[in-house]
Amino acid sequence: MASSTSGSSSSSKVVKIRSSDNENFEVEEAAAARSETIKKLLEDVGDDADVIPLPNVDAKTLVKVMEWCKKHMDDVDELNKEEMKTWDAEFVDMDQSCLYNVLLAANFLNIKELLDQLTQKVADMIKGKSPEEIRATFNIKNDFTPEEEAEIRKQNAWAFE
Amino acid sequence: MSLRSIVRDVRDGFGSLSRRSFEVRLPGHHRGKSHGSVHELHEQPLVIQNSRWAGLPPELLRDVIKRLEASESTWPARKHVVACAAVCRSWREMCKEIVRSPEFSGKITFPVSLKQPGPRDGMMQCFIKRDKSNLTYRLFLCLSPALLVENGKFLLSAKRTRRTTCTEYVISMDADNISRSSSTYIGKLRSNFLGTKFIIYDTQPPYNNGQLSPPGRSRRFYSKKVSPKVPTGSYNIAQASLSSFLAHLRTHSGAFPSQNQLTIQLSLAVLASDIIGSRDEDDGKERPLVLRNKAPRWHEQLQCWCLNFRGRVTVASVKNFQLIAATQSAAGAPTPSSSQPAQSDHDKIILQFGKVGKDMFTMDYRYPLSAFQAFAICLSSFDTKLACE
Repeated sequence: MASSTSGSSSSSKVVKIRSSDNENFEVEEAAAARSETIKKLLEDVGDDADVIPLPNVDAKTLVKVMEWCKKHMDDVDELNKEEMKTWDAEFVDMDQSCLYNVLLAANFLNIKELLDQLTQKVADMIKGKSPEEIRATFNIKNDFTPEEEAEIRKQNAWAFE
Repeated sequence: MSLRSIVRDVRDGFGSLSRRSFEVRLPGHHRGKSHGSVHELHEQPLVIQNSRWAGLPPELLRDVIKRLEASESTWPARKHVVACAAVCRSWREMCKEIVRSPEFSGKITFPVSLKQPGPRDGMMQCFIKRDKSNLTYRLFLCLSPALLVENGKFLLSAKRTRRTTCTEYVISMDADNISRSSSTYIGKLRSNFLGTKFIIYDTQPPYNNGQLSPPGRSRRFYSKKVSPKVPTGSYNIAQASLSSFLAHLRTHSGAFPSQNQLTIQLSLAVLASDIIGSRDEDDGKERPLVLRNKAPRWHEQLQCWCLNFRGRVTVASVKNFQLIAATQSAAGAPTPSSSQPAQSDHDKIILQFGKVGKDMFTMDYRYPLSAFQAFAICLSSFDTKLACE
């Protein structure tokens, strides 16, 4: 931490975080603090912090999450709101495996706004699909018993009437 | 950080490459290998990868389904929730937990809603389309003020069969295949020989059994959602006794002429106090709810007996009726509720039915009747000719 003190203003202060697979990252504090979890840890340890370990997030996912945090580091003015919306829409448009990891990471890191965007994305992905299409989209196995299956078929026939 | 990302990308490229070939060769022995910790996440067995979304932490799944549920409040988009509930068990459980019964949400979502009590606040507005050519009746949920079949969500269908000793209406969840042998058969209405008395039979499909079981083995949404507001005991009684109750239809002896000649009186094993709000006398708690039809008023200008359907009924017909909860005197005969204090509650219309056009009728119902019960009662109104003539 001592090396980063020289000349750096508080706005560009850098914190170190470590992924579950022992990858170290240096992130601007303002970006990292979008995560309530990291913010809380920083407050707790103060300037003594060397590296903040994040045992639930792997490096690939952490890169993705920090990309969002960096983008959302500053308050957005009215002019850029539309641009930000487009950026967010593109950001959440990822494959289901990646989406799952980022969703869980956002939950663990407690980034409310990102979590909202991601759960909304998942809800949107469910909309307008048949149960089979939803399973295919999220790679979910059908685990119903034959009796439950029969009941479900009945409900679906009625709903899609 | 950008450099790092590039490095990561390259590494991931290698990682996934090696993973693929690795899995093919040694599906069972992936842990003790020397690939290093970088690959740990990727190396989980495929089964776990497959069901990851099924095992989404409940708080996240709840958030997702709540968003889905909230955004699709009307049909036909409501089917998205039904589809979501058909994906896998964990998702189904969550959907059931989030989607509230029509009693509290005022919405019909799953077919099970058809046998659940209607909303406590406001009426569930439906319409019935009659097809005289093949003696079928179809019940739709109103989706817009214009009463067109295209603007309705199909709920139930019924087919009339004349037997030697009675008339029977088979009630189904399928719009076209209406038969007792079909899996979509959910009950029937049967009249006596004269068509003056009707019995409603409920098949009690399997999904009801589970939900009606006493607390203990139920993690089902139904008892769980309902019990906080309604005493479990009374609720179970109400549901269990649906299998048969009576709808008496009889001519009203000259109290008012031609137009509204029938009195519909049916007993529901819902506690009367739950609807009427009074708990008078010692047996008040045990008393079943009796519904009676609202007496029409004499309209001086039109010179006829009228009921106020608030625009929902436009054609005068002997079939039109409104049902309200009857308060009972000691003798047990239904009497007008004028002497009771909470009059607005007593006059609350629980079911109204009436003609709006050729072969088109509106049917509006509320708690404690279900769509199935309300439909069956209305069907009995189609079949009253013999008793009236």
